[in-house]
Amino acid sequence: MTADTAGRASVSLEAKDIHQTLGGCKVLCGVDIQAPAGNTVAVIGPSGSGKSTLLRSLNRLYELDSGDILLDGRSVLRDDPDELRQRIGMVFQQYNLFPHLSILKNVALAPQKLRRLSPDAARDLALTQLDRVGLKHKAGARPGMLSGGQQQRVAIARALAMAPQVMFFDEATSALDPEMVKGALELIADLGAGGMTMLVVTHEMGFARSASDTVVFMDQGKVVESGPPEQIFEDPHTERLQRFLSQVL
Amino acid sequence: MSLCVGRRAKRGGKLLGLTATILMVCGLVLAAPVAPALADRNQCAPPGLDSASVLPKDLTENRVVGRDDDATTATVESLSAVDIGELGLATPGVLTVGTLSDAPPNICVNPEGEFTGFDNQLLRAIAKKLGLQLRFFATDFSGLLAQVASRRFDVGSAAIKATDPRRRTVAFTNGYDFGYYSLVVPAGSAITNFSDLAAGQRIGVVQGTVAESYVVDTLHLQPVKYPGYATLYASLKARQLDAWVAPGTLASTVIRRDDPAVVVANAFSPGNFVAYAVAKDNQPLVNALNSGLDAVIADGTWAKLYCLWVPRTLPPGWKPGSKAAPAPDMPDFAAIVANQHREPVGPATPKSTLAQLRDSFFDWDMYREAIPILLTTGLPNTLILTNSAIIIGLALGMVLAMAGMSHSRWLRWPARVYTDIFRGLPEVVIILIIGLGIGPLVSGLTHNNPYPLGIAALGLMAAAYIGEILRSGIQSVDPGQLEASRALGFSYPAAMRLVVVPQGIRRVLPALVNQAIALLKGSALVYFLGLVAHQRELFQVGRDLNAQSGSLSPLVAAGLFYLILTIPLTHLVNYIDTRLRRGRAATEPEKDADMVSSTFGQGIT
Repeated sequence: MTADTAGRASVSLEAKDIHQTLGGCKVLCGVDIQAPAGNTVAVIGPSGSGKSTLLRSLNRLYELDSGDILLDGRSVLRDDPDELRQRIGMVFQQYNLFPHLSILKNVALAPQKLRRLSPDAARDLALTQLDRVGLKHKAGARPGMLSGGQQQRVAIARALAMAPQVMFFDEATSALDPEMVKGALELIADLGAGGMTMLVVTHEMGFARSASDTVVFMDQGKVVESGPPEQIFEDPHTERLQRFLSQVL
Repeated sequence: MSLCVGRRAKRGGKLLGLTATILMVCGLVLAAPVAPALADRNQCAPPGLDSASVLPKDLTENRVVGRDDDATTATVESLSAVDIGELGLATPGVLTVGTLSDAPPNICVNPEGEFTGFDNQLLRAIAKKLGLQLRFFATDFSGLLAQVASRRFDVGSAAIKATDPRRRTVAFTNGYDFGYYSLVVPAGSAITNFSDLAAGQRIGVVQGTVAESYVVDTLHLQPVKYPGYATLYASLKARQLDAWVAPGTLASTVIRRDDPAVVVANAFSPGNFVAYAVAKDNQPLVNALNSGLDAVIADGTWAKLYCLWVPRTLPPGWKPGSKAAPAPDMPDFAAIVANQHREPVGPATPKSTLAQLRDSFFDWDMYREAIPILLTTGLPNTLILTNSAIIIGLALGMVLAMAGMSHSRWLRWPARVYTDIFRGLPEVVIILIIGLGIGPLVSGLTHNNPYPLGIAALGLMAAAYIGEILRSGIQSVDPGQLEASRALGFSYPAAMRLVVVPQGIRRVLPALVNQAIALLKGSALVYFLGLVAHQRELFQVGRDLNAQSGSLSPLVAAGLFYLILTIPLTHLVNYIDTRLRRGRAATEPEKDADMVSSTFGQGIT
């Protein structure tokens, strides 16, 4: 399985000194992230540390106060944000499938409207992506008829159908029943192994340890510590990370 | 029905109740005696010379002396001197007439939907002399003079008495008829004269008529005001009123022998004659109508129509037209009356209240007469009005909803103000403001046709409600839906259009259907603007037939049509509501939607 089945190769993602204020409250204070092409970066940290805000800042759902975002080594701050988001796939904790559309339409809508594929081509693409997540047989169903794990796989297929260069996962398994988590994490790990550049915000330390190239620990809007998973989990330098790991492990 | 039914037997109980109701209604209808032939019931047919009467004695004996007749012109210009291009008509060559549909024999609509009666037939004759076409519009008496003053109508024809207060608003032609008041009371009432009227009694008058000012200014009493004669008289017969101060001719026409009502006294009005009203600054039209009136008096048309529609003795010292007009050649009414040997009008055998109600509400012949007109005229117009208003309301409502959710105050505030105004005003006020306020400004576009204005008023009103419904629906959609669409790369408008708005509309479908039902019923209010016969919607058709016959059955028939339209819609709402609830149960992240649909769903029954 390769990440660029739909024609776009993965690229590097770099965030430099990101500052973000939301509703008058400073949420991100100078965050730096480096994700070379094909790497998986796991972002961990306590609730409210700014992880989700970081993802939404990097695909410009929230505009930055200051800082720079480089995709493939080039700043994207002057690009059309809608166009930028077409290149960055995102998967949410609550799946956010469109309940009024069938599974097939959920996946085919964006390729048809944004990539201007013909309805038939968009349909074929959607079926391919659904097949990839093992849900081709549910193409005609409504989101409400699927389990949480299935919905999340559809959400992943929906993001992949836009042939993104980078994928963001925002606590994608947090809302799932425990028995569903494993399958979803395997799918995400497969995607990373296939060469997709990924930023994965997660509470699953096992996933961060085994499937990521780099782990970033955030607290209070800052990157406290980052490094390869072995270093972060076996040899945490900072007291805050040590305390966090002792609480979650 | 006091049936004690368990929850399981509820459906059976409902069915039983329905059956019982139907049987009761059928029984009442079947028990009714064969209704009199239709021709007898048409109060808008000319009564003819056979119905001639002499003026009541109390009129000639205790005559109230009005002001001197200084308004009648000494003479008129000759017909050939009238230049119909100079008459200031809204549409050249066409006389636009504001009239009423419910005051026979002077002004009424006949079963063919034609505006007729003595006043309108006389106006037709005058217009023919002048070489003018006529277009009649029905309106309410309370608004008629204002509409004439604002030139919505060129002429007001409604047995209008030319009183001094009215002369401050409009100009009048010379007189073509005279008027007096009759005091009508329920059979067996203790009231026998105007002097018996006292504070605390419910005295009915039609709003804006001289009867109203007579009761207020001369008798110094507070009357109960009605918009039209038909409902007023129905109220009196149902003993909801103690007395009715009525125009004399009208009273003697509408009171039938077996009605539980009787004329006990008569009085002359201080306003001395009946005339056509014209806008105050339109003296050329007054002069032209005066010329035409003298012409139809001279050739005998006036006398012919008078004997056909309102045959009764002229009061001493009064004649129609200018002072130079020849005295009309009248038959000896007293002799005709004497030959007829008619029994005096009185409460021969008053019907029981139940029989009275049955005649009013379940007159089968009236249903047979009403249903074809309701079907061919009322139903299409109601549907056109409602559907056009819904389309305007949806389009404008969507704009309002979007503006109301905008981040820019320059969009949000106007939407807010619009919604507050159009939701806050009574529907009648909006219709009158749009129809009579905006109407004259756009008369070039509408040719004084109130129909498009009615549609506009209903549509603008609907937009305010629909906008709020749509906004609440759209705002109830989980913000994650917008975020997910934006994350896919959709622009804000595209995300709204493809993802958020379709979901929002689904949630408020029940509320939207409810709004459509409200609008359907609200379309009846368009009659305030004055509609020509073929523009009348269901309610107006029912109302006109009610005025023609005095029976309430046509209104009930119109009501049935409304039910035929609204009941399926109501059930559609319930169906959608249930389906939405069932759908919700499977879709976890949308619990709030359930709340929205059920909140709106409650208003249905």
